[in-house]
Amino acid sequence: MSGRRTIYEIYWEILVYCKSPRSFTAIINRCDLNSKTGQEYLNFLTMKKYLSAVAEEGKTRYVSTKEAGEYIALFSSMYQNLFDNQPGFRL
Amino acid sequence: MHEQTLSRFRTEIRHFFLVSLLNLVFAAIAIATGVQYIVTAIMGQTLDPVVPGFPVISGIRILTPIIAMCCFGLGIGWIIATVRIYEGIVIIKDDLRKGGEAITDDRLTCLIVRMLAHYRDNRRTVGTMILVCTLGGACFFVLGIANSLKVLSVSSGGFAFTLDNLLLIPAMLLTLGISLASLLSSYYFSKFAQVWEQRLREIGESECALKQKLGLDEQ
Repeated sequence: MSGRRTIYEIYWEILVYCKSPRSFTAIINRCDLNSKTGQEYLNFLTMKKYLSAVAEEGKTRYVSTKEAGEYIALFSSMYQNLFDNQPGFRL
Repeated sequence: MHEQTLSRFRTEIRHFFLVSLLNLVFAAIAIATGVQYIVTAIMGQTLDPVVPGFPVISGIRILTPIIAMCCFGLGIGWIIATVRIYEGIVIIKDDLRKGGEAITDDRLTCLIVRMLAHYRDNRRTVGTMILVCTLGGACFFVLGIANSLKVLSVSSGGFAFTLDNLLLIPAMLLTLGISLASLLSSYYFSKFAQVWEQRLREIGESECALKQKLGLDEQ
């Protein structure tokens, strides 16, 4: 996903994408991040234990943890609640 | 909850798509009409002959190509602004359609995030579009009226006007139709903009809950 996103939206996107193990390159490509900021985000999420790094066939892959589920659920409910309010007209 | 949000999101995207499409069509018609008025004015082939002895009419006839040029320019601005909005909406709409009814919670949230990102990227364009559509609507309204008048005389006691022959009525209606479409687009876009601005504010306000969850407020 590209476009102007908040840091929380990027974290959410990484965590959802990493529900199955993903490589660093796959994550930054999918989330449209550069290596430097991508690494910073991954370090942060790993430090907070929302992501864990696992070694698969000699490569490091990142996978979301159980704790990430709470953040994902909170984020989804907040964003879906935005649609309680709709434009006051119909075409 | 999920179904209701999905249904609302889908309806909103469809409406936004329709307004954008309507804009594209009318922007194209606006450019074509602007060009037609300019060409007829330059070639001296006004849609009806100027009535001698009525100098006020000449004034109106001189004004017509100037307003037509403004309409042409606004039409170009209008179409460029619309294409940017339209492209983003089409991508989101297609993804929503591909997901069908069994769209997952994460996928729906992802599309909402994309729509928000699209709005953030095009916030200024939407603002410009509201302005361009309003100006375009006003210009076309004046053009429609000015081009259909045969006689306009203004005196201290008031003013009187005569409409031209029946052949001009379709052209006048088209111009007034474009004007109406333009003003309606402006209205709809401002409604959408209001709601999306409200959503961005709501997100800003609720971000502290996410911050807390991530433990960012401790830093």
